[in-house]
Amino acid sequence: MLQHIAHRLLISIPVLIGVLLVGFLLLQVVPTDPATVVAGPTATHVEIEAIREAMGLNEPIYVQFGIYLTRVLQGDLGRSMISNSPVVTELANTVGPTIELMLASLIWAVPLGIVLGTLAAVRRGRMSDRIIMAVSVAGVSMPIFWFGLMLIQYVGFHWQLFPFQGRGGPLWTLSGLDHIVLPALTLGGVFIGPVARMTRTSLLEVLGSDFVRTARAKGVSERRVVVSHALRNSLIPVVTLIGLQIGFLLGGAVVTETLFAWPGVGRLAVGAITSADYALAQGAILVLALSFLLVNLLVDVLYAVLDPRVRAR
Amino acid sequence: MRTPRPAAWLGALALAVLLPATTPVVAETSVTIMRTIDTDRYDPHRSTARSTAEALFMVGDTLVALDPDLKSVHPLLAKSWTVSDDGKLYTFKLRDDVTFCSGKKFTAKDVKASIDRWLDPATKGVVKNRAGDVKEIRAVDDYTVEYELTQPYSELLFQMTQHFHTIINADEVAALGEDFGVKGFDGTGPYCFVSWEPRNELILKKHEAYKWGPAFYANKGPAKVDKLIWKIIPEDNNRVAGIQANQGDATQYIPYWAVDQLEANPQISVTKAPSYFWTYFVGFKITREIADNIEVRKALNLAVDQKAIAEGPFFGKAEPAYAYIHPDVLDYDKKDINTSLFGYDPEKAKAILEAAGWKMGDDGFRHKDGKKLKLVAYSFTNIWQQIMEAMQGDMRKVGADLEIQVFDATVIWGKLKTQDFDLFTMSYPYVSAGDAMNLYFPSENRPTPNRVNWADDNTDKWLSEGRAALTPEARYEAYAKVQKQVHDAVVWIPLVHEPMFVAAGPRLKPIAAHGIYGAGLYKGLGIELK
Repeated sequence: MLQHIAHRLLISIPVLIGVLLVGFLLLQVVPTDPATVVAGPTATHVEIEAIREAMGLNEPIYVQFGIYLTRVLQGDLGRSMISNSPVVTELANTVGPTIELMLASLIWAVPLGIVLGTLAAVRRGRMSDRIIMAVSVAGVSMPIFWFGLMLIQYVGFHWQLFPFQGRGGPLWTLSGLDHIVLPALTLGGVFIGPVARMTRTSLLEVLGSDFVRTARAKGVSERRVVVSHALRNSLIPVVTLIGLQIGFLLGGAVVTETLFAWPGVGRLAVGAITSADYALAQGAILVLALSFLLVNLLVDVLYAVLDPRVRAR
Repeated sequence: MRTPRPAAWLGALALAVLLPATTPVVAETSVTIMRTIDTDRYDPHRSTARSTAEALFMVGDTLVALDPDLKSVHPLLAKSWTVSDDGKLYTFKLRDDVTFCSGKKFTAKDVKASIDRWLDPATKGVVKNRAGDVKEIRAVDDYTVEYELTQPYSELLFQMTQHFHTIINADEVAALGEDFGVKGFDGTGPYCFVSWEPRNELILKKHEAYKWGPAFYANKGPAKVDKLIWKIIPEDNNRVAGIQANQGDATQYIPYWAVDQLEANPQISVTKAPSYFWTYFVGFKITREIADNIEVRKALNLAVDQKAIAEGPFFGKAEPAYAYIHPDVLDYDKKDINTSLFGYDPEKAKAILEAAGWKMGDDGFRHKDGKKLKLVAYSFTNIWQQIMEAMQGDMRKVGADLEIQVFDATVIWGKLKTQDFDLFTMSYPYVSAGDAMNLYFPSENRPTPNRVNWADDNTDKWLSEGRAALTPEARYEAYAKVQKQVHDAVVWIPLVHEPMFVAAGPRLKPIAAHGIYGAGLYKGLGIELK
C-alpha cells in the first residue's frame, strides 16, 4: 500500500511543475497589463510605465518565471500586488472556506446520490426508477449558476429561509451553518445526478453477477444482498466518478463562491485574475491544482482500500 | 421598628449585583453596503478607482466639499479661503476642531504633508495634474495653509473636492509604509478604517468626534450608524434580492433591469443623484485609415441611434448623449456645440457616405477604391457588448461593417494602449468641461488616455489658457473653443449619460444620492436607520 502511495506521489511531482509552468504562462499570454489596471483608466502612459517598472514587469518572461519558481520552491508565493499581503496568508484565509463548502456539499450529495442510485437499481423499470433517473438527468444538465440563482430567488429571497450573502462564520456557529446551506445545496445539487446514475449502472451490473446469485440461492435476504454484498462491490466506479467530479466541483466552487459572495479560493482566483494580481492568481491556481492532485491521490488510495486486487498489483 | 430579615438583605444584595447587567445596552448599529468590485488599495495618491473614492470620501476629508449640484464648492476642513489676484496663491484658513481617527489633532502640517507626498516622485502618485502646477505648499501656522502654484489653475477648487486631495496622517503613512491604505488608514472622515479583507469586505466604524460635515448634509456628524460594512457582491441578482431580503442595506450598483422593480417595492427607496456626469462614448482612432476621414466619422455618428441604446441596454434609465459631456456640467458650451452632428439620421448618413465616394457593394457593405468600409472596435464586456451589438446593427444599415472584439476588463487596458483598432469603448466621470477636455485631448496624453490620438497645437494652447484662466468667464471661453473644435471634428460617438441611483433597504431611511466621482454615498452622513 505504502509503495502504491509513494509511486503516485512521485508521479505527481512533474505534474505539479507542469501546472506551475502552465499557470505562469497562461497569465503571460493573456494580454493583461497589471500596471494599467493598477493605474486606472485615466492614468497617463508615463504613470503606467512608472508603475510597470516598480512592479518588475519589464523583466524578460523567463527571468520572471525563474524568480517565481525559486520562490515557490522555498515556500514563498510572493506578495499580492494589490494588498501587499503574503500570498500564502491570503490563500490560508480562503482555503478553509472552500474546503468547508466542498465538504458541506459532498456530505449530503454523495450519500443521497448513492441512495437514489441504489433505489433506482433495485426498482429497475418501475415509476420510482424513472423519476429518479429523470431527476438525475436534469441534475446533470442543470447549469450550476442557474440552480444557484433559483435557490437565491426562491429559498433566499421569496421564502427567506436562509441567507445568501457571504460566510456567516465557523460551521459550529448557527450563523455559519445558516450561511452555508444555499451554497452547499447549489454545489452539491449538481453532484447528485452523476453519482446516482453511476451507482445505478454499477449496481445493476453487480446484481447480475454470480456471487450475488449464489448469495440469493443461499437464502440471504434481498436487503442484505444489496447493501452488504452488491453495493460495496459496485462502489469502485462510483469512487472514480467522485474523484473526477471533485475536479469539476472545484470549478463549480468558483461559480458558487462568486454567486454567493463566499470568500473561498475560487472567488479569490477570479478576483485576482480580474484585478490582474499575477502573484495571487498564480498562487490560487497552484492551490486549485494541488487540490485536484490530492483528490486523485486519495481516490487511488481508496481504490486500494475497496479493491484488494489493486493492493496486490 | 423592625429589623430587616437576612433574606431581605440577601435579596437586596442580589438585586444590586444584577442591576448593572439588566441596564439597557444600546446595540451597535451596523449597515452593509453592497458593491461589485473592490479596489487595489485605499491610497488617495495611488488609486484612481471609483471603489477607492467610495471609501476614502468616508474615512477622509478634503479641504473643500462638492455640492450635490456638482457646481458649488463648500468649506470642509477649510473654513474659508482666498485666491490672490494672479490666481497663483490660495490661502486656506483651516478648522481648529478637527481630529484624525487616531485622535491626533489636524493641522496645516497635515495638508502640506499630504500634497507633498502625492507629488513626491517616490510615491509614484497618479493624476498629479489634478493638484495643479504646485510650486510650494506652506503651513504658515497651525491653521493656515498657502497653496502656491507656478501658474494659475482655474479648476483647483473643484479638483480639491476629489478623493486625490484627501488629507492623510503623514505619521501613519510613514509607520505603515507599503501597508498604508491596505492595513490601515488614518483620516478625519465621518468613519474610521477598521479592517480590510481585499475582494471581500471593508469594515468602517463611526468617528465619534466628527462634527464638521459639509453644509449640504442635515447631519454634520457624527454618523448615525456605528459600523459600515462594504461588502463585495459581484452577482447582480444577488444584490437585487439581497437588498429586498435585508441581507444588504444599500447599494448604488443596481442593474438597470432592476430599477423599476426596486422602485415598485414600497420597502425600498431609490433615489437619483440630481447631477451626475458619467458619459459613455465610442472613440475613433483618428490616425487610422478610414477613421481618419471626417466624412466617415460624421456618417457613422448619424447612423447610431442613441435613443434606442438608452432604451435598450439601459432600460430607458440613461439619457441619450448628443455631446461629449453633459449639458448641465460646468462650462458646457451650449452656444457652439453642434449637437445635430450626433443625432440619429441614417438617410443623411448614407448620403454623406455616397458623396464621399463610399458606394454600396453587392455584399451589402460600402466600398471605396477597392477598400471595404470596415472598422475594428475594441470593447469592454458586460453592458458594452449589448451597446456594441446595437451599434453594429445601426452601422450595417448604412453599409458599414463593424467588427467587435470584446475584452475582459483585465485585458482591455493593455489592448487600448496599442494602435491596432479603429474604435474603442469608454465611459468616464468628470466634474467640469475642463476636467473632461484636459483628460482626453492634450497631445501629451497620447496614447492613453488620449486614445483618439488627438494632437493639435491650438487645443493644447486653449487647454493651457483654460487651466490658467483667472475668471470663470475666461475659463469658459477657453474651454468652449476646445469643445467646439473637438465636437466639430466628431472624434467620438457620444452614446448616453449614465444616471446614478442609490437604493436603500427596508431598514434604512432614503439616502440622497451624490454624483461625485461615481461615489453615490459620498460622506455617508445620510445613512440612517428608520
